[in-house]
Amino acid sequence: MTWSRLQGELTGSKNTIKTSSPALGVTRKREDAMRGSDEQSREGEKSLVEFRSTGGERKEEIDKQRSGGQNGVSTMAQKRKRDEEEKERKVAAWDTGIEKTVEKGKACEEERTREEEAEGMLEEFIDCTHGAYVNGGGPVCDHTASRLEHRGASSSRKMDDIVKDFTEESQENVKTTGEKNQTLLTTCEDKPELLSCIPVSFRISCKCSGSLSRCLGAQEVSRVIGAGLSRLLGWKADLKNPQLEINVHLSDDYCLLGIPLTRLPLANRSYIKITGLRSTTAWAMASLAHIQPGFRVVDPMCGVGTILIEAAQEHKDACFLGVDIDEAQLQKASENIAFAELENRINLLKASSLVLPVPSATVDAVICDLPFGRKFGSRIDMAANLPLVLTEMERVLRPGGILVLLLSPQLSCLLKKLLIQYDTGPTSNPETKPQTGMQNCPSSSRSPSKKQTFQIHSGVKSSPSQETKLQHSLPFTVSSLKHQATFRVSLGAIDGLIHKYVKTDCCVFRDVMF
Amino acid sequence: MKLLTHNMLTSHVKGVTKGYPLLIKATEVKVNEVEFNPQFVSRMIPKLEWGALVQAAEELGHRQDLPGELVQDYEKNEDFLKKVHRVLLEVEVIEGCLQCPESGREFPISKGIPNMLLNEDEV
Repeated sequence: MTWSRLQGELTGSKNTIKTSSPALGVTRKREDAMRGSDEQSREGEKSLVEFRSTGGERKEEIDKQRSGGQNGVSTMAQKRKRDEEEKERKVAAWDTGIEKTVEKGKACEEERTREEEAEGMLEEFIDCTHGAYVNGGGPVCDHTASRLEHRGASSSRKMDDIVKDFTEESQENVKTTGEKNQTLLTTCEDKPELLSCIPVSFRISCKCSGSLSRCLGAQEVSRVIGAGLSRLLGWKADLKNPQLEINVHLSDDYCLLGIPLTRLPLANRSYIKITGLRSTTAWAMASLAHIQPGFRVVDPMCGVGTILIEAAQEHKDACFLGVDIDEAQLQKASENIAFAELENRINLLKASSLVLPVPSATVDAVICDLPFGRKFGSRIDMAANLPLVLTEMERVLRPGGILVLLLSPQLSCLLKKLLIQYDTGPTSNPETKPQTGMQNCPSSSRSPSKKQTFQIHSGVKSSPSQETKLQHSLPFTVSSLKHQATFRVSLGAIDGLIHKYVKTDCCVFRDVMF
Repeated sequence: MKLLTHNMLTSHVKGVTKGYPLLIKATEVKVNEVEFNPQFVSRMIPKLEWGALVQAAEELGHRQDLPGELVQDYEKNEDFLKKVHRVLLEVEVIEGCLQCPESGREFPISKGIPNMLLNEDEV
């Protein structure tokens, strides 16, 4: 259902997809013709297979490709390139035999890489569906355009749908099967005139980052690649209205070539009027909550309501409550909800997330994008209030309820300190003195750990209403939030971390305490 | 504010032990036409405080023939589900206030959104 919705969103940019597919088709045939023999095509397949099996790097690339919105990057490169391209075309008139072969080889390599990237993108999508993984390292590239590194767990069914819906015709050309290669190869050999009969206009948008950017200019790279492509395939460079856009990103760790399949970013939503959190991130968070029919979902800091809207679009049989302290934000949320025609399922409330006017254990899921701090225009000092916010969220959740949070890296660290790993079982020591936020315990490991219990350290005495699990004579509260996973996402200029918790049955703790 | 929301709200004024359900004093009530989704309604029913719902509907003068007790086998009873649907989703308080049953503290509702922010001394 999700991807048919996405497809709906992409109908506007269908033209782009259609124009790029013949190009890819042409390229494919070109490649095969150039390889010329069975052996070579087998080699090609092998390299594709190898390509497919390389791990982490590729996943990042896929995510970048997913964002599709590389156009922001391209505009600057384009302007610079304009004059360069003019000169280049004149220069390209001359050719020596040697150069041609050399460049052919190089360009062929590039071409193949590009092709493989596009194919690899699809194949890898299917490969990397299973569960999510924590990206501890990995280069954080600063893109001018915001992009999403979407690492939320998605079912493989959805991924198959991506392959089906998302790329449409291009998929046929791009999918690698042995038979396909052979068929294309034979067709090529029969109809060599196909090779150059479809001239495609293209434009290269290049970005160089890292230490590489000091020795190589983006325009230089664009020029070289553009010239190579022109010469090799007979494609024409068109800066104003190309049929095909080719994005290049060179960094210290990799070279990424790709073709954006959509004009608009993936996060574009026809049903959202005022944007807040990037819709793709919001969707990812909502999907982590595993919302079932009949669920009551609360966002205690809803802002303009992006997360709730994304969740409500996806889950028609659940009800949603958005809470915010700010009148202006609530008005915008109200507008958004009305615009998306979801008034019957998303309700708004003006209240403080520190004191939610909701009875305990009545909410099935809490999904929240916590304000990152002053940079993001938060009025409250998030770090100081995090323990209280967390306590409230935990309180309203029913046992088995899911908590999904998006935090800045700093808040994420703080959160981990607050929820410190504690020894399970009756040997747990309730007499430990509370510090303002720390305890003398081994600190929790960074990797997501299941089946471990945590403690919240809070200076605040538990209120009487929390009678279900807390002992107010004790100086600290026992948390029933069980950490499930952490995901790193890019929010453009900075990264965020999505944390997922499940509220366990807190009665267990009570017995243990006594 | 729809009654579905009202059913989820409680007074959180400091010291109050019985803050649920909140009393409704409405000055402007609207009845919208909302598409009937029987699955949604039948899924929501088990999570509702039925008594509070009936009381709230009564306060707004929109109870009509909503039964005081939950009907058995409501999932297949479309008639019943439609009544619940109307009360839960179609009746909306645009202006008015919610009142804490214990402390009497009033929380205003404006443009359909209740304001339940507490003052410093009430937290």
